[in-house]
Formats: sequence, structure tokens, C-alpha cells
Amino acid sequence: MALDTAPAPVAPPPPLGGGSHPPGARADTVFRWLSLAGGGLVLVILALVVYSTTRQAWPALRKEGLDFVLSDDWDVVKGQFGALAFIFGTLVISVIALLLALPVSIGIALFITEVAPRRLQRPVVYVIDLLAVIPSVVFGLWGILVLAPAILGFYQNVADAVSGVPVLGNVLNGTPVVGRSFMTAGIILAIMITPIITSITREVFATVPRSQKEAALALGATRWEMIRGAVFPHSRSGMVAGAMIGFGRAMGETIAVALVIGSIPTTKLQLFGSGDSMAAVIANNFGDASGTFRSALIGLGVVLFGMTLVIGTVAQALVGRAERRLGAVAR
Amino acid sequence: MTAVDVTGPSVALGGPRHRGVRRAKDVAATCFMVLSVLVVLVPLGLVVGYVISRGIGILDWAFLTDDIPITDRTIGPGMGPAVVGTVTITGAATLMAVPLGVLGGVYLNEYGGRSRPARVVRFLADVMTGVPSIVMGLFIFTIWVLAFGFSGFAGALALGCLMLPVVIRTAEEMLRLVPAELREASYALGSRKARTIFRVVLPAAAPGITSGALLAVARAAGETAPLLFTILLVSKPNFDLFHGPNTALSVQIFKNATSALPGPQQRAWGAAFTLIAIAFLFTLAARLVANRFAGRHAA
Amino acid sequence: MTRTLPRSRRLILPVLVLALVAAGCGSSGKSHSSKPSAPKLAAATLNSSGATFPQAFYQEAIKNFAGEQPAVTINYGGGGSGKGQTDLQGQLVDFAGSDALPKPEDLAKYKGGALLYFPTVAAPITLSYNLSGVGNLQLSAATIAKVFAGQITKWDDPAIKAENSGASLPSTAITTVHRSDASGTTANFTKYLVAAAGSAWTLGSDKSVNWPGGQAGNGNGGVAQIVKSTPGTIGYVDFSDAKAAGLSFAAIKNASGQYVEPSTESASQALAGSTVNSDLSYNPLNAPGAKAYPITAPTWILVYKNQTGKAKGEALKAFLEYVLAGGQTAAASVDFAKLPDSLQQRAKAQLSQIVIP
Repeated sequence: MALDTAPAPVAPPPPLGGGSHPPGARADTVFRWLSLAGGGLVLVILALVVYSTTRQAWPALRKEGLDFVLSDDWDVVKGQFGALAFIFGTLVISVIALLLALPVSIGIALFITEVAPRRLQRPVVYVIDLLAVIPSVVFGLWGILVLAPAILGFYQNVADAVSGVPVLGNVLNGTPVVGRSFMTAGIILAIMITPIITSITREVFATVPRSQKEAALALGATRWEMIRGAVFPHSRSGMVAGAMIGFGRAMGETIAVALVIGSIPTTKLQLFGSGDSMAAVIANNFGDASGTFRSALIGLGVVLFGMTLVIGTVAQALVGRAERRLGAVAR
Repeated sequence: MTAVDVTGPSVALGGPRHRGVRRAKDVAATCFMVLSVLVVLVPLGLVVGYVISRGIGILDWAFLTDDIPITDRTIGPGMGPAVVGTVTITGAATLMAVPLGVLGGVYLNEYGGRSRPARVVRFLADVMTGVPSIVMGLFIFTIWVLAFGFSGFAGALALGCLMLPVVIRTAEEMLRLVPAELREASYALGSRKARTIFRVVLPAAAPGITSGALLAVARAAGETAPLLFTILLVSKPNFDLFHGPNTALSVQIFKNATSALPGPQQRAWGAAFTLIAIAFLFTLAARLVANRFAGRHAA
Repeated sequence: MTRTLPRSRRLILPVLVLALVAAGCGSSGKSHSSKPSAPKLAAATLNSSGATFPQAFYQEAIKNFAGEQPAVTINYGGGGSGKGQTDLQGQLVDFAGSDALPKPEDLAKYKGGALLYFPTVAAPITLSYNLSGVGNLQLSAATIAKVFAGQITKWDDPAIKAENSGASLPSTAITTVHRSDASGTTANFTKYLVAAAGSAWTLGSDKSVNWPGGQAGNGNGGVAQIVKSTPGTIGYVDFSDAKAAGLSFAAIKNASGQYVEPSTESASQALAGSTVNSDLSYNPLNAPGAKAYPITAPTWILVYKNQTGKAKGEALKAFLEYVLAGGQTAAASVDFAKLPDSLQQRAKAQLSQIVIP
């Protein structure tokens, strides 16, 4: 994942034989331009994505202005497109997912780098890789047909147990309490983002300088104290970056969420009740949409893209900073 | 000048009772770490377990080759057109994304290095890996489907756009791992740059790049959102990527997941089984290829 | 539904009269399937999308038609009436299934020009529910309106009790289920409530409505899935899907004051009482008649009058011919009500208006 620590490319010496058209020069130039095209394609595609989606979304964005993100009045029939409910829903499930996934991911990463005997490391990594490659739609299928019905009883028990408690009684509730809800979507998302957070934090933990760790142990620290004292301080920005990348992934996740979130736009924070998210509402409605409604949905896509862009950029910068620091120390 | 942490580890020391508390915390922490691994195994086991148990009943050759029943409420196979669709669309996406991605990686590592354009491309490629797949689907719908209609190729374009940045970054990192000595030796023997890259560097990095490409394919095969607005739905196999709508395993699962009837639900489980099998196989292949690479360059 | 007819449509009436006369003179009651098999058509693929309400019927018709004309492949993608209309506007499909006809202001969006509406079948929209121990629920429009507007929230509400004196209604909360996608079924259901529930229904009528609370399902099948798996729910599902999923549905009070159960017979009764306009639009909702089921919904296939390709045009015409003849007999097997004979004839006559290059 390193960025600006790229070495300068090795340059070939001047060709033997001289002459104005040394053999192979043309092939060289052609190949160079081909490679540049391959790299430049990224720029072209991204620019096109931003341009075309924003242009398609413009009618709706211009009509609503800032209300597009600030108002929760989403009425397709009347032509009102305040998307606050979807932004709210996206943030709620992503926060749930991060709160559940981050401790577990860090635990797994620590296990792999600090605790596991050498022979166990590889199988555990393989298992996490397998989890990473299960398609979102399969998680969604399992979620809607297996998890949602099964976990409903648990939600109802919890809701009954805390009913009447201020704040918690409202949050751990739903009107009505259903399996296809914010919480279920958050749980499935947590399962889905664990591999990527684990992978990033594992890489960061692995670059903690050995000397620091050994120094801590030599001073009589327990393993946990060594982790707290030597691993965590060095890995702070890396862990934050991992969390942010996981959060960004959760925000953009579409299919599993579309199936288990319940598709009821709301700005009420009731975790056991149905909600909706930006990606889910686009997936569920785009096919039927036309005119301003379609523009509004593409506009949601633009807003979602913008949000994941911001988070992704900050995360990349943090990763770069962490790696530069660690790279310098490790030497 | 990058700051180096010279303050050293912060460790609390103390007497016997304190040591007992510290010991307890250590044990608790270790328990937590082990528990985390077990916790993540539970959903993995549950998902794979349910998919296998509910999907295996319907899985046979007929399921993989028969047409999708036109009437939803029919019970029984198959998912043939979806298998055809997944294979052809993912294949086309791979054919587009991998060569272009490798070229991009070559540019970044062999030509660009630390130059400004290369830094921009590198940054944008990383940014692009985070683009939500549904935004790619919307994008291709806007610029392709509206002009040319639904087709497997439109779906392949969307998948290819998702795969491209991943392949570029993987290729760049694998190329970076190729030792400089190999390049220098090639130049010393009189080869020019393009020739060196083609004949020496790429072959050396090939296992790593292949491994990365296989992983990208595994992910792409399971994608649903980019295909939702680009390929429509069919019940007979369509081998022609450029004309007419198509279908894919992922899209069919999504469609059947909201059905109340046993027939479509069971077909969905069978399709999920097939998809997971494809994804796992490709991941396994990627690991095997990568291990060969690690063996070759063991320092 | 009032609509000012463009000039081209005013020709329909005299043409129809002539056609009806001709049909009346010719042999009657001979269904398509008993004729010697029609000449095999050239290979063609028809793509379509749209209403999920008649989806089971279209799937059956496509299956049977494929037996008669194996060279023609028809794909019906579903997705809801809204999707069908949108896809047809952009000419991404060859025909669209829709439970609601395009609004006059939307007609300009159809890039291929003028449209023809072909009614195909009709069916009851059931109020399906999941309440253990309650088998024969009876509901009237006003009660339904209040339930879906969120004013009646418990199953043992006095209003429901009044209509169901024999049933033991629990005090569980009612969870309403509606559509998450733009739906002609929603449009017809709400249209019925506007007509029959009067001031009790304030949310209007359209393919998408601002439901207060409840659960949302994707397609008729999605609503059926939620009702089937969640106790205490009530939702509007087409008869065919409700029966296939094994749901219980309520008997609804019709315009004549009788509680009628949904069935193909009660739907046909509703169709018999409706007036058909010249563009073949009609409204069987809240129809008069003692045995008529009040929430009987129509559905149409929308096609462009001017077809762009010969093979496709011929295939489309042949498919529609099948739907309006042999298909009508097949309708009952998937729990749809066929059109009254007079409407079938008018629709068949309209086929001649399709212009094939």
C-alpha cells in the first residue's frame, strides 16, 4: 500500500551503436506511451465519472439546492427530494459496522502478528481472505432469509428489557421492531468490512520495529503492556486509516444493505426499526425512475461518491504518513 | 526529517500485587484476541454452512446448464444463462482490465516513479478503488446504456472500471519487488527499456501479478450493483456480449432473494453456492500462484 | 379517466365499429389454439419489463407461446410499472407491462412516438394478512384506509371488530406492508381507496405514495414474502402471488354493500360492469354488481404503434394475438381473470393498427 516511497526507476545506460535511430527506440517510445495510457486511463475514467454523474444529477441538485442534503422531505410524487434520511441511514449503519468491526479486526490483527505461533498465522490469514471474497449478494441472501428472521426474537427481548429506560429505550427499539432493520444491516456490514480493516492494521503492526518490542519485553513488560507501549503508539495513524477505509467501504456497500435494511426512509434513531441508505435506495428504485427522480438518485450517487472520496483521501494520507515514519525507523 | 520515536516503550512496573493485576490484564487481552478470531469464524461458518446446506440439494449438472424457468413459481433448476453470463461478462471485464492495469502499473513503477504525474495517477488509482460499485453502474448506465441499450458488454465495462485500479496498484507493487539487479543486468547486456520490461521484469513479476488478477476476478464475479442497471434479465443464455440483455448469478440471487416462493429461493441458494465456489477457487488459485512467487524470491 | 384524444385516436371508433360488425358476422368463439398452427415466424428476440402484478400470467403466456413459435425469444424483466414505462420511453425494451396508463403529460417522453394500449388480463388485489387463528377477515374501504394511514394501529380496534363479530382478534400491533418500488399495484390500490373510502383516505393516489411507517417490499413478491414471514402484517398483493405463497386474504365490502372474496369469478364480475374507452383504457375498481370484487385491477401491455423492425414487429403482433386468444384460456390456470369477450374483440381489432415496416 505504499505511496510516495516509490524508488526512482532504474534508467538504462545510453544505447551502444549510436546513430539517429537506434534499433528498438521506436518500440521503446510506443511502449512508454502505452503504459502512460494505461495509467492515464484512471484519470480519464474518474473525470468522466465525476462529470457525467454530476451532469445527470444537475436538474435535481439545482432544484433542491442545499436542501438536497439538509431536508428529509423525500416525496417522489410531489417532486421533493430531500435526502437527509438516506444520508442519516448510511451514517448510522456505517457507525454500527465500525463499532462492531474495529475491536474484532484489531484483535485478529494482533493475534496474527503477536500471539499466533508461526504455523497458525497462515491459516488464519487464509480464513480472513475467504471471508473477504464472499460476494455481497450472498451476505444479503443469508441476511434476509436466515439472519433477519432469527435475530428478531433477540431484538424483541432487548427492546422489552430496556423499554422505559431514557434514551436507550428509544434507541434499542423500533416502530415496529423488525428483523430487517438498521442493526441487522450494521451487523452484516461489520462482517463484511472486518477483512479489510484486519488486513490494513496487520500490515501496520508488522512494521513496528522489532527493537522497540524487544526493549519493552526486556524491561519486564507483559505482552499486553508491550502491545500498548510499543505497537499501538507506532500504529496509531495506521489504525485510524484502517478504520476510515473500513468506514468508507461500509458507506458504499449496496446489495447486502438493500436486502436487509427495510427500505423505509427515516431520521429516527431506532436501531431495531427499518431504515434506508443512499446506496440501497438507488439500487431499489433506479430501474423505475425517470426525469427528476432519476436525477435525484444519481445525485445521491454523487453525494455518496463525494463522501467516500473525502474519507478515502484522508485515509490514504494517513497511511502514507504512517508508512513514511515507520519506513524511516525500520531502517 | 522524519521524527523517530526515541521515547521508548512506556511500561508500568511494580510490586507483586501489581504484577498479579498486570498478569490478569495480559491474560484477558490474549483471550480477547483469540476470541476475536473465533468471533469472525462464526459468521463465516454460518454463511458458508447455510449456503451449502440449502444450495446443495439443487446443485447438479442440470442446474448449471438448464434455462432459468420462465415462470417464477416453477420448482427446480436451472441457472444456466446466469452461469454463462457471469463467466462471459467477468471474462470480458478481465480481458479489458488486466492488460490495461498491468500497463498502468508498468508506467507507475518503471517510468513514472516519483514524478508528479505518477504521484497523481497513483493517488487517483487509490481513490478509485474506493468508488462504490453502484456509482460505477450509474456511470456506465449514463454513458453507455442510454446510447446503446442493455448488454453484457455494458456490464463488463462497469466491472472492468472497478477492477482496473486494483490491478494497477497490485501490478505496481509486484513490479517493485523485482530486484533492481535484474534490470541492471539486462541493460548491461544491451537491452533497451521496453525490451527489459517485457522480457525480464514482467516475467519475474508475473506470479504476483497473476495472483492479484485472480483475486480481482474473484471479487468481480460476485459484484451485483454494477450489473443491475446494465444487463437487464434473461431466461435463456445469451452468448453474445454486445447484443441484447444478459443475466448473471449475482443479479439472479438479488432478484430471487425477495421472493416468497420456494422455487426461486432454492435457485438463489444454488446460485450462491456456485458463486462462492467460483470465488473460493479463484482465491485458492491466487494463493497457490503467490506462494510459488514467494518461493522463487525468498531472500 | 378523462382524456382529450389526439386526432389519430379518433379514427379508432369508426374502425372499431367496422371491426365489430365484421367480427359479429364471422364465426365466434373459436380460440386460437384450435386453429391449424400459424406459420412459423422468423427468429426474433423481444425484451420487455414492467408490472409485477401480471408477471405470473406473462410468464405463463411466454412459456406457451414459445411452444408455438420456438424461434421467438421473449424476456420479461419485471421491475414494476414505473420501470416498464421508463424503459419504453427510452426504447430500451420492445413492450412494457403496466398497471397504470401513462399520464398525458408523460406521453411526450416516449421517444418512439404514439402508443397503443392492449388490455391483457385483470385480477384482484388482495389484502393479505398474517394473523394466526383468524381465517375470514372482512374489511371495508374506510377501515383499510385508516389502517394504512396509520390511524388504526391494533388488530382488535373497534372498527375492525365491528366488521368481524365472529373472529377472535388479538391485541397485537398492525404492521402495514407496502411497495418500495414505483408500482402500478400501488396506483390501483390507492385509486380504489380514493374512490371508495372518501374522506378517510388523504394520501392521494400514484405509483408511489408517502406511507406513514410500515414495511416495504420489492415487487408484489417482496410484499408477499414479508407478509408470509412476519406475524401481524397486512399488505396489498396481487391474487396470483398471494395464492402461490399460501397467504390468507380478506373479503372486501363492495359498492353494493356485500363482502366479496377475491377470485377470478368475482374479478370477472367487476370487469363485466366497467365501461371501456376508445383507447381501451377502463376502470374496474369499485365496480357495481353484487358479486363484484371491488379491488379488481386492470393491466395493459404498452407498445409503440410504429414498429422499427419487421421480425420484431411480427413477433410482437403474434404474441399479442396469442395473449388475447389462447392466452385468455390459460389465464385462469395462474389465477388471473380473462377479459370479457367484447373487450377481447376490441383489443384484437386494435392489433391491425400496429404498423410493421
